[in-house]
Amino acid sequence: MIVARLRVWSYYVLLWVVSIVFVSPVLWIALSAFKTRNDILAMPPKFIFRPTLENFAHLFARDELWRQVANSVVLSLTAVIIAIVVSFLAAFCFSRFKPKGTDFLMFLLLSIRMLPGPAVILPVYLMYAGFGWKDNHFWLIMFYAMFSIPFSVWILKGFIDGVSVRFDETGLVNGGSWLHVIFKVVLPQVKPGLIAAFIFNLIFVWNEFLFNFIIGGVSTQNIPYALAVGTYADGGVAWPFIACLTTIYIIPPVVFIYAFQKYLLVGMTFGTVRGEV
Amino acid sequence: MPRRTLLKGGAVAGLAGIVGAPFINRLQAKEAHPLAGKKIDMNILGIAGWLPSSLGVKMSPIFADYVKERFGYQVSFGFAEAPFSDLFQKAATSLATKSQEYNIIISDSQWLGALAKPGWILKLNDVIAKNKELQIDWYSNTITEAYQIYPDGSKDLWGLPQEGDTIALFVRKDMLADPKEQQAFQAKYNAKLPQTFEDFENLTMTEFEKVAEFFTRPDKQLWGTAMQYSRVYDFCTCYLYPFMWSQGGEVWDPKTGQVEGILNSATNAKAMEQAKGWLKYQPPGALNYGIAEEIDVFTQGKVFSCFQWAAVGLAMITPENKDKVMVVPPPKHGKGAEAKRIYTVGGQPWVINAFNDEAKMRVALDFMKWWYQPETTLEFAKRGGNPCDKATLSNPNFDKINPWGRAYKYMLEPGRSRDFWHDPKYSEMLALQQEGFTSYMTGQTASATQALDYIACGQQQILHDEGVAKTAPTDKCSSVSL
Amino acid sequence: MSSMHAGSIGRKPGIAGMFDYRTRLTISLLAPVLLFFIVFNTIPTLWLLGLSFYNYSLTSGMPPEFIGFRNFVQIFNNRNGIWFDLSRTFLFVGLGVTIQTSLGLLLGFLFWGSKAMPGRRVALTMLFTPMVLTPVATGTFFRFIYDPDFGILNWILHGVFGLQPIAFLTNPATAYWSVLAVDCWMWTPFMTLMTLAALGSVPKAELEAIEVDRIPWHKRLTLVVWHHGKFILMLGVLLRTIDSFKTLDLIIPMTKGGPGQATRLVAMELNKQAFESFNIGWSSAYSVLLLLVSIAMTSVFIYILNLRRRRA
Repeated sequence: MIVARLRVWSYYVLLWVVSIVFVSPVLWIALSAFKTRNDILAMPPKFIFRPTLENFAHLFARDELWRQVANSVVLSLTAVIIAIVVSFLAAFCFSRFKPKGTDFLMFLLLSIRMLPGPAVILPVYLMYAGFGWKDNHFWLIMFYAMFSIPFSVWILKGFIDGVSVRFDETGLVNGGSWLHVIFKVVLPQVKPGLIAAFIFNLIFVWNEFLFNFIIGGVSTQNIPYALAVGTYADGGVAWPFIACLTTIYIIPPVVFIYAFQKYLLVGMTFGTVRGEV
Repeated sequence: MPRRTLLKGGAVAGLAGIVGAPFINRLQAKEAHPLAGKKIDMNILGIAGWLPSSLGVKMSPIFADYVKERFGYQVSFGFAEAPFSDLFQKAATSLATKSQEYNIIISDSQWLGALAKPGWILKLNDVIAKNKELQIDWYSNTITEAYQIYPDGSKDLWGLPQEGDTIALFVRKDMLADPKEQQAFQAKYNAKLPQTFEDFENLTMTEFEKVAEFFTRPDKQLWGTAMQYSRVYDFCTCYLYPFMWSQGGEVWDPKTGQVEGILNSATNAKAMEQAKGWLKYQPPGALNYGIAEEIDVFTQGKVFSCFQWAAVGLAMITPENKDKVMVVPPPKHGKGAEAKRIYTVGGQPWVINAFNDEAKMRVALDFMKWWYQPETTLEFAKRGGNPCDKATLSNPNFDKINPWGRAYKYMLEPGRSRDFWHDPKYSEMLALQQEGFTSYMTGQTASATQALDYIACGQQQILHDEGVAKTAPTDKCSSVSL
Repeated sequence: MSSMHAGSIGRKPGIAGMFDYRTRLTISLLAPVLLFFIVFNTIPTLWLLGLSFYNYSLTSGMPPEFIGFRNFVQIFNNRNGIWFDLSRTFLFVGLGVTIQTSLGLLLGFLFWGSKAMPGRRVALTMLFTPMVLTPVATGTFFRFIYDPDFGILNWILHGVFGLQPIAFLTNPATAYWSVLAVDCWMWTPFMTLMTLAALGSVPKAELEAIEVDRIPWHKRLTLVVWHHGKFILMLGVLLRTIDSFKTLDLIIPMTKGGPGQATRLVAMELNKQAFESFNIGWSSAYSVLLLLVSIAMTSVFIYILNLRRRRA
């Protein structure tokens, strides 16, 4: 009996060790956020040190920080919400009405994700430059939305496929319109898919640097841009700044992953099953 | 318009006249200026994490006050930054759209060609001719060649110096002054440990090598020196060129655009081998050193000396090591009377966006004129910047303002510092040679000649495609690789 | 669906009347997606295709010059070492995805049976954290971790194994693998997530059945788990392959493609050509080539995916 329990507990310990090993570099970064610069650079590395909050104080004293944070939040949320709405409608259509060319279009949508960043952004930059859409929140959001659509369509279509057609029929027979069917009947049933798509795309746009750097500008700076630009400070590499900002920036996505973990695990099944994970 | 509105309007105008009369008088006391009473927004694009650039940016409120007092208009400044390695990209992607996003740009000296050729920045010959305040006596023609002229050898001026910069040697004078060290050095090498500025002035690399070797004590976490070998931007190149130039090597012929046969010479190959040999006196991370990493390593006390740009003197000399640091000229290459030092020149010019509208252009010109006023220049120096005009630098008190001032001035003398090509294709050429140089330094390419051949062939192709080089790469170029 | 009498309802006069309600609904549902697609994908791709036939450098101040297929010929002739970049990238993708999938499967199975573990959610969140870090920050900080002067990894190696400091990112022998290691660290959790999802797709009834029937381990895997979960796993591999091909943000702060060309991947070279040298025409040609490669890769995958699906 005891052996069995010991086995179970050593199994749990193993799992915890694995998790901690994976997260340890992140913890090292977070730890550095509380160290002075000399402590960060100290060799041998300091695990015991006097923690300080001055890095955070410096960080929040920066003028541009609030604008960058606001931009990060606004750009991510808006773009992803738009993408999800558009994708949901399209996925519904692909699933239920199967118009000609569905497979081709789905494949083409995926093709956008295939290209490396510079390849995608090059013609878009020329286009934006030509029309004067550079450094413009609206057009940047539109572009981010476009980038989030393929993944969302694929997930949502999978889930909607899994919702039995009989639900639709029942809804329509009972006198509801298609809008009613779409939003009141099918939507609630694909929640895991919606949430998974939302979180994944959010994380992508949240961490996105290249597009913001090239087609964004002074007013649309976001935090990854701030990280890239602020790497070198007046006195060498700005380790305290990077550690601090990274630590703060990672909190919202981690919170999301913790809170919606169950949905994430179901959502990534792409709708092939709607059971427990 | 109904009569009532007219009457009202008239009353308001009259009232304004009466109330405004004192203002009108004051305005007349200032200089008459076309922009008086207006409010202008300007954007400066600077270099992220670069001290002199941020100094220029931080001083702009002083300018705002100045023009408000003197000319009666208001300016507000916005700033954007990008690090060295991305700055050209940022500037170009904006200027290519003819945008006024950045009105004044702190450019690096090598980019003059790339910004001037497409007509993105303002040509300054006429501007300078019309404005006496901009006709400044610069310290040496190195300044003009580096920060103003494109193409090399012509008389076209495109920039005005913002920050002058040369390579200096930062040394720990406390270690030099230690009598125990002096005795040990004398015993080992039968030579005296250099002590003063003049000692270092006369020092050659061979002699300095002894000092570096002496102070290389890895078990005590101390190394002799540090140089930059990083692949990023122009770091490795700037530190390799002195080895080449000082020993007679050249990197191209500006008149014919010829690189092959000139860059891949035996002298340059030997120079590369020497530069690689110096790695043994440097900490293990030296292959990745750029400006920031050198600051880290010097301020943490890991190296006795450091070849570093004078511009970051403020960062190199911290409150902790303030009294322990001396800044001297870097050593000469070669032997005896022929030994000479030719190092790379750094520094940045101000350039003005050619697409600025009239108002912004006017403000930009006022800014330049204000920047070169003696009070401004002195303030800039006091805050840690390096001005370039003869008047400020020849002032007997200049050396006392900053510890590196004397070494900086020394290296600005004609012939001691040189810039590399101002060609518009500089970015491609630079990326290519950074790849080649670092490939050799890290040991990926075994022979220096092979790396040089690769670079020379590639650059010849680039210049030939551009139309600057008359000859195409030779046949052997089809088989070179790193 | 065909039994719906949508056709007779809602016929409007005029052009709108030509389409029945259902078609109108279809079009309005698809319209936003199509709009996005055309504006942000089709038009730019066509533009790209067009530009690839020109010699156009943004900084030369000269207008674009039509040169036909010369850009493509240059690419074919391995200018700038393109084929080396491609092979390096393929190796990176191949090795990376293989390692991430194997490790991810292993960890997924490991975590699968731990429903009752206290703090499972926290442990899993910690496990998933590497995916969530900004790649720019990850690259910068791993440069610090790998640093021979100030980094913690060398200190650990020295303390445990007595090794001399290794310059991981500047030594040509180790640079590529060091970067690959970071990439695997970041994305193995993603494959773990997909594995957990795949395992979750096995119907509970079957899971219980194999417990009851005491079917041996390997048969369990192949008959039950693989049968149900392969679609999801393959999808995960597909997504990872596509994304791995695009690795850029991670490499720039760590090595910038160095030492020499050791870690120069396709996306990096393209970025340099397009946005540092501003050779727009040549970069467009390169992008077109990459697009063809990507389409080929994805077609293969989707074909395999559909094949398995049809067989299943």
